[in-house]
Amino acid sequence: MCGLCGCESHLHGPDHDHDHGPSSHRHVKVERSLLEVNDQRARALVQRLEALGVEAIGLLGGAGSGKTTLLEATLARLGDVAREAVVEGDCATDLDAQRIAARGVRVVQVTTGALCHLDAALVEGSLAALDLRGVARLWIENVGNLVCPAAFACGESRRAVVVSVAEGDDKPLKYPALFATADVLVISKLDLLPYTDFVVERCIAHARAARPGLRALPLSARSGEGMEAWLEWVEKRA
Amino acid sequence: MHEAKLCLSLLDLAERALRAEGGQRIHALSVEVGTLSGVAPEALEAAFPICARGTPAHGARLRIERTEGRELLLRDMEVS
Repeated sequence: MCGLCGCESHLHGPDHDHDHGPSSHRHVKVERSLLEVNDQRARALVQRLEALGVEAIGLLGGAGSGKTTLLEATLARLGDVAREAVVEGDCATDLDAQRIAARGVRVVQVTTGALCHLDAALVEGSLAALDLRGVARLWIENVGNLVCPAAFACGESRRAVVVSVAEGDDKPLKYPALFATADVLVISKLDLLPYTDFVVERCIAHARAARPGLRALPLSARSGEGMEAWLEWVEKRA
Repeated sequence: MHEAKLCLSLLDLAERALRAEGGQRIHALSVEVGTLSGVAPEALEAAFPICARGTPAHGARLRIERTEGRELLLRDMEVS
């Protein structure tokens, strides 16, 4: 509210000159989120998937954090791959989709071009090319990016944010917005720990500053360490 | 960077609110940008005049208010 004239407008600060424009101008209160179009579409997508008996899990993290390798190792450990399906988001190529398809898992690649993140409309559109019959879990691997995907829900019910030992334990401190949306923190490439200055506890503390109480799962898709706890989270066994 | 896309969402919201009011033109808009929203106010300011070209918000003044949270809101407008 304008402190000088008491008008409801946020359009001017306390030092404004009281020029509210010509008297024909009027003030309109809107108070709506710029993200609501995507948010509404994402909520509708969650409901549509739930009605099909499908839960979507978002995999997010920087480029090279090990999202696809984690997904491959996860699919290899889950019993029935016919119950899994994958949406792969990348700026270019279908290399990730090829890796997933090689495991006999249904997958669709979304190539975003210059776009830095997936959104609900992109995921919704991609599902036309994906047969979800018999599928219980849809993996949505976002474009490798610690910034932009934070604000755009994609139809996932839960979000796993992946940060690798190789990236450094300060990433949650530098990119808090994404970690604030996480339902679980995955610390990947744990087998590289001896070769870095990464401190697992420090990384977890930084992530919890963005999201208090966030569950953290350090693991190595390569060695298998920590994978059981991750699978428990995926399958909601713990 | 996705500020141009968000700018189009902003204009979409603004034009719908304008139509609901029976207005013709948007002269000013006030937007709240939270620090955790992932949006750079500078990029929004740069994209706005370009995205607004040819719309009822052509030439409108954009005022951005920074807050601490994740909000990204069109708060209010001055219209005629």
